Amino acid sequence: MMIKISVNGEIKEVSENLNVKELIQALEYKTKGFAVAVNTTFVAIDSYEKTIIRYGDTIDILSPVQGG
Amino acid sequence: MTKHMEKERNTWEIGGKTLNSRMFIGSALYPSPAIMEASIKASKAEVVTVSLRRQGVNRDAGEGFWKIIRDLGVEVLPNTAGCHSAKEAITIAQMAREVFGTHWIKLEVIGDQYNLQPDPYETVEAAKVLVKKGFEVFPYTTDDLVVAKKLVDAGCKILMPWGSPIGSGKGLMNPYNLKAIREAFPDMPLIIDAGIGKPSHAIEAMELGYDGILLNSAVALAQDPAAMAKAFAMAVEAGRTGYEAGAMQEREFASPSTPTVGTPFWHHEK
Repeated sequence: MMIKISVNGEIKEVSENLNVKELIQALEYKTKGFAVAVNTTFVAIDSYEKTIIRYGDTIDILSPVQGG
Repeated sequence: MTKHMEKERNTWEIGGKTLNSRMFIGSALYPSPAIMEASIKASKAEVVTVSLRRQGVNRDAGEGFWKIIRDLGVEVLPNTAGCHSAKEAITIAQMAREVFGTHWIKLEVIGDQYNLQPDPYETVEAAKVLVKKGFEVFPYTTDDLVVAKKLVDAGCKILMPWGSPIGSGKGLMNPYNLKAIREAFPDMPLIIDAGIGKPSHAIEAMELGYDGILLNSAVALAQDPAAMAKAFAMAVEAGRTGYEAGAMQEREFASPSTPTVGTPFWHHEK
């Protein structure tokens, strides 16, 4: 079954019960340098596999940009 | 003085690092990545601020930018720009620590969209949590002495009061308040962050005894950013050297500098 989630503000349909590592693979996210937050809470790399994505979750994948 | 001693004298410490330059520079708003790189080099800054943002899934997603910064071999100071609550800032700080591999964080929690004034309550709240999580917090704050004290109570070992609102280029709006913070925390690294527009503002900041300045727009939005970066590097050095040299006392009236003894001619011939 597919579920709807928000990734960086865009609605996406993904398989249910994916963990964060599987989600990133499914999204074909190409960059190496990024960090993930689920529902505005930080998810560290070593927690990717134990963090399961649920229907309606808000995922933020952030990468380096210029800053002041 | 030997060259080695000269170098020793000019270094200073902040956040566990020894630096030569007292200028921190931002990486945003430059006309191009090449001009950004040239400007950072010309500034001689050893600390560069960076940020994190959402990017498209299939794009290069910041990799090109991040490579330029990495290759410069500078310390990065990630910011929490755009956050409006302690919770958001704490999340971004943790993400930044993972991506940039540093426990330094420029804590920025905005309380007003019009003048980008930091929210003191949320900033102090976030600082408490981040210090406990092992971050070296560089809090962007106003020139309010009591807020500065609360940040220190929260565990901050560095303070970054504003000169004036971000990107305004208005310089030091309230030198009196900035002086009060300097006097209250004589041994704490203090950086003037935001509002600096011209090299003369940087000199003023350094003459107040501040340990350094952080700027971005003043260089990035100059007609010739790399030349302006160089001008700021000289200004920071001039201001610091002047501060260390100890300025003369201001006087209310004129006082001749040329000796009056032996003045010739007319004054004595009446």
